[in-house]
Amino acid sequence: MNDGIAGKLAKQFINSKITPLLMVASLLVGIMATFMTPREEEPQIVVPMVDLYIPYPGATPAEVEVRVAKPVERTLTEIPGVDYVYSTSLPDFAVVTVRYKVGEDAEKSMVKLWSTLMKNMDKMPPGVQFPLLKKVSIDDVPVLNLTFWSKTKDPFQLRKTAVGVADELKKIKNIGDVEIKGGLKRQVKIVLNKEQLRQFNVSPLQIARQLQLSNTQMTSGDFKQMNEELIVRSGRFLESADDVANIVIGIYGASPVYLRDVASVVDGPEEVNNYNFFGWAAAAPKGSASGEYPAVTLTVAKRQGSDASKLADKVLARVDNLKKGFIPADVTVSETRNYGATATDKVFTLLEHLIVAVVAVTIVVGFFLGWRGALVVFASVPITFALTLLIYYLLDYSLNRVTLFALIFVTGIVVDDSIIIAENIHRHFAMKRQPRLQAAITAINEVGNPTILATFTVIAAVLPMVFVSGLMGPYMSPMPIGASLAMIFSLLVALIATPWLAFRLLKTEEGHHEEYDITNTGYYRLFNTILTPFIESSFKRWIAFGVVGLMLVGAILLVPMKAVQMKMLPFDNKNEFQVIVDMPEGTALEQTARVTKEISAYLKTVPEVSSYQYYVGINAPINFNGLVRHYYMRQAKNMGDIQVNLVPKDERKAQSHDIAKKVRAGVQQIARRYNANAKIVEIPPGPPVLSTLVAEIYGPSQEQQIALARQVKKVFQETPGVVDVDWMVEDDQKVYDLVVNKERAAFRGVSAEQIAQTLRMSLAGMDVGVLHTDKELDPVTIQVRLPQSDRTSLHDLSTLFVQSQGMGTLTTRLRAGEMIPLSELVRVEEKIKEKSIYRKDLRRVVYVTADVAGATESPVYAMLNMDKKIEQLKVPGGYSVSPLYTASPASDEKLAMKWDGEWQITFEVFRDLGTAFAVVLVIIYLLIIGWFQSFKTPLIMMIAIPLSLVGIIPGHFVHGAFFTATSMIGMIALAGIMVRNSVLLIDFIQIRRAEGADLKRAVIESAAVRTKPIILTSGAVVIGSLVMLFDPIFQGLAISLIWGGVLSTILTLVVVPIVYYIVEKK
Amino acid sequence: MSVDIKKKFFPFLLAISLFFAGCGNHDPESIKSRSQLSPVAVVSVVAVRSAVEAGGDEVLLVPASAIFRKGELTAVFVVGADNRLSVRWISTGRSMQGDVVVLGGLDKGEPVVGVSAPAFVEGVTVIKRVTAEDQTHE
Repeated sequence: MNDGIAGKLAKQFINSKITPLLMVASLLVGIMATFMTPREEEPQIVVPMVDLYIPYPGATPAEVEVRVAKPVERTLTEIPGVDYVYSTSLPDFAVVTVRYKVGEDAEKSMVKLWSTLMKNMDKMPPGVQFPLLKKVSIDDVPVLNLTFWSKTKDPFQLRKTAVGVADELKKIKNIGDVEIKGGLKRQVKIVLNKEQLRQFNVSPLQIARQLQLSNTQMTSGDFKQMNEELIVRSGRFLESADDVANIVIGIYGASPVYLRDVASVVDGPEEVNNYNFFGWAAAAPKGSASGEYPAVTLTVAKRQGSDASKLADKVLARVDNLKKGFIPADVTVSETRNYGATATDKVFTLLEHLIVAVVAVTIVVGFFLGWRGALVVFASVPITFALTLLIYYLLDYSLNRVTLFALIFVTGIVVDDSIIIAENIHRHFAMKRQPRLQAAITAINEVGNPTILATFTVIAAVLPMVFVSGLMGPYMSPMPIGASLAMIFSLLVALIATPWLAFRLLKTEEGHHEEYDITNTGYYRLFNTILTPFIESSFKRWIAFGVVGLMLVGAILLVPMKAVQMKMLPFDNKNEFQVIVDMPEGTALEQTARVTKEISAYLKTVPEVSSYQYYVGINAPINFNGLVRHYYMRQAKNMGDIQVNLVPKDERKAQSHDIAKKVRAGVQQIARRYNANAKIVEIPPGPPVLSTLVAEIYGPSQEQQIALARQVKKVFQETPGVVDVDWMVEDDQKVYDLVVNKERAAFRGVSAEQIAQTLRMSLAGMDVGVLHTDKELDPVTIQVRLPQSDRTSLHDLSTLFVQSQGMGTLTTRLRAGEMIPLSELVRVEEKIKEKSIYRKDLRRVVYVTADVAGATESPVYAMLNMDKKIEQLKVPGGYSVSPLYTASPASDEKLAMKWDGEWQITFEVFRDLGTAFAVVLVIIYLLIIGWFQSFKTPLIMMIAIPLSLVGIIPGHFVHGAFFTATSMIGMIALAGIMVRNSVLLIDFIQIRRAEGADLKRAVIESAAVRTKPIILTSGAVVIGSLVMLFDPIFQGLAISLIWGGVLSTILTLVVVPIVYYIVEKK
Repeated sequence: MSVDIKKKFFPFLLAISLFFAGCGNHDPESIKSRSQLSPVAVVSVVAVRSAVEAGGDEVLLVPASAIFRKGELTAVFVVGADNRLSVRWISTGRSMQGDVVVLGGLDKGEPVVGVSAPAFVEGVTVIKRVTAEDQTHE
């Protein structure tokens, strides 16, 4: 017999001394790679995203939009690699967000952005200030949050402690950004006294100027004397509050006026601008304190490419050390986020699953081939994985849930090659037609080449998934790469290591010496009974085909009947979720704090919640979701975030998504009472989007867009299953516009700028410098401001004074220095604050957002449901707005709406996966044509592919699961596996026919001989997938592989031989 | 926490079978009943009043004695519908004859503890509830 590649390889290695060495070496490098590869939870996603803050002081949103946002957007879209450009035009400034395509190089993108921006800065209108560019990347997400809280200390003291700790932590290697959230900074407050100011004839602006002039120090130079250089320095920085208080700011009569005469100078915490509280909840560890305490959060990010768990461990060790001295005993440091620990946990859970899968598969193999056969198969898996892990390490992948998932996914498949080879050697040993060595090589020759083909079919099936584009790409691409690598290694192992092991481990059973006859085996008798009637009677055959066809149609019908629903990805079982509280714009900080606190008090009673922390007026530490949603900009007075931590997964029965669903009603009931909008935000399992459901509304004018948005929002609210409805249109906020009476101001020698500055200093306060102290780590600012009690009403404002500049202004002949009340110079106009203008890809847009939970869990069904209602909405002009799905409208002349959010990603993923599947089918077809040199045979083999649907869809129905992206991956992979089974079947038929057997016997014999390896390999896939069945995300994949695998294997074994028989008979 | 992961891995591999045995159902940790705080007596509970300021604006007032501070934070105790105290962070303006103007955090008519004492903590039940009569009409 002529040896194929497989035979040659086997011959070379079956008795070689190098084989065991190779095996041991690969195991060792694999173990090393496992430890050296950085561990993290999320896959590394490079999506360069840059926020540009462009100040344009004094401009209204409409002006900002036209003069700043629009031109900047236009120039930015010219940059190659830019995917989206969003902008928000607010009063006084614009925020433009540029998102590059996934995988674009971050540094190059920044350079391109910078140069494009510079090129066009000269076209900006006067008044536009220099933009601030902030690159946002996944490594900005803190991996570790430490909450400093105390029963006795106040936020000011807490912050001081946290800043000290942060300074220490910064010394750790591989640490990224360390930030402090909440607490109050030290500040020297100059609290103006209006009466005294008037009495001493001093204006706030004068104070500011004097302070700035006094706070200076510089080296003047040096001079030489007696061979020595003497340095001359002049001025002195302000170093303490006393220094500040003793500044002379003016003259009254003949005596100097000190700052302390007209204002009180207080060195202490800044005015309250945020509330950050921590509390233990119902499921807290025993003995924890009840109540809630002022808190400050220290967040630690990691450097790109470093190991989150190692960093977290180092930081915690250092903090433990600091607890002994630096951190006061009454300050408790609680760990409120540790992605290092969750990553390690995830990685080890997945490794555990991996080992369970391998053990389970081995046991199944053991039943068929005996323990020696099982051992051969078992030994080959670790070698395969070791080599794959090595490649992961070399390709700079990290060990995360996606890369490990790839390994679990292929567990059932990588054993197949070894099983097929080991089984055939086993069979040939049992037949005893040849000496052992010869038998082994014959066995390998017989199945080796179809195995190679089969492996490439499976690779061809999974590899096109690399081409999934968009944000989902990084979540998907490690999988086909990992799986393909593992397949190739498993093939090599099967051809090199397995024969070596099998030759030594498999025993030739003694005893029966009679000539092997296939017709005596149980399998042959079974298939003879099953197949013969169909082969002989064409009527029975058609009935059988009819039944199979009906099953297929029935299965597919389950989808339109909504018995099986499609969803992108189901929710993972996480240990945290967030509640986002939005009060109407213009709500006071304390009111927001109150509502947030009340919601927290409710969450506290939820049995699965272990602790919570709320942040008001300041954003909670962001996660990946918050990064994409720009939650780091949630620093307004009307916004609150509650971070809810649940007990670890294994200590609760409910999934985090169910808990989130459960608390939603309670949270929103409280929120509604205060006219607030509260949203439950869960960490999405896949790429984050603005919101699950997003309606983008385009139109000719902002008023019309808002009017339509209001109607759409109402439709959202009325649709069951649609929750957390919100829109990106601010509520009306009252604005007092102080209009300067120009003639009168000029006559009194006061400039408009003076008035504006005085008002700003009085209300918002003005930082006039920093205290030059070397003890403080945070800079200590010196701020001039009116006390809170003196800036509560318009009445307070009108009693402010500005100083006349006199003749210096050239508009008056009055003497300078006179104090003129503001009330004389300004007139109050009450207005509504202009709304922010949002733009996406050069068009104005109004967003309506929502989430889905309860009645519908999949946004697609909610969208279809709402489409009809939206089409019935009345819009000016009398046309109907039918929501668009894939592309934004062609023009802005008419009102239009487009669905976005999770749908956009779902659409892209299923489109790409669908295309991948089509490509897969073609590649498989080509591969088999190449092998069998026939155009017909591949088609027969590919019959098995649709048959898998008979199992997959009802399987999802039985489990009550969604058909997700992972289900789709399972389906694609299954196509490869099923074709491989057919290849093995038909290859044997052809061998037997070449040996002279007649068609019917060859068909039945092939079914009989190949049943065992086919059942074994499919069994391995099924058993290997069982562990994934309980993982919320990979459930779909498991169901596809298990149900699809079982049903299509059974059907393949019957249908493919019969079809082959019919086709070949003619 | 600072245990090196590498060291954890080998016993992990060896004891994997034990792991599976242990991976079964954990008894969910029983929700501990929080030790009930002993109720406190409150001398006076007053409602947040409103008054018209000199400038003609309506303002909210609470007695100065009701206010307590924690560093820079200012708060009062509010008596909830379930007769429990809760801390309410507020921002205050000027003082007016023994009262303090509340700028944010309270609604008109809300019952607050008239004289706050260190014994009061979040969540404690109020037993004696003497609602002060002064619900000003202006």
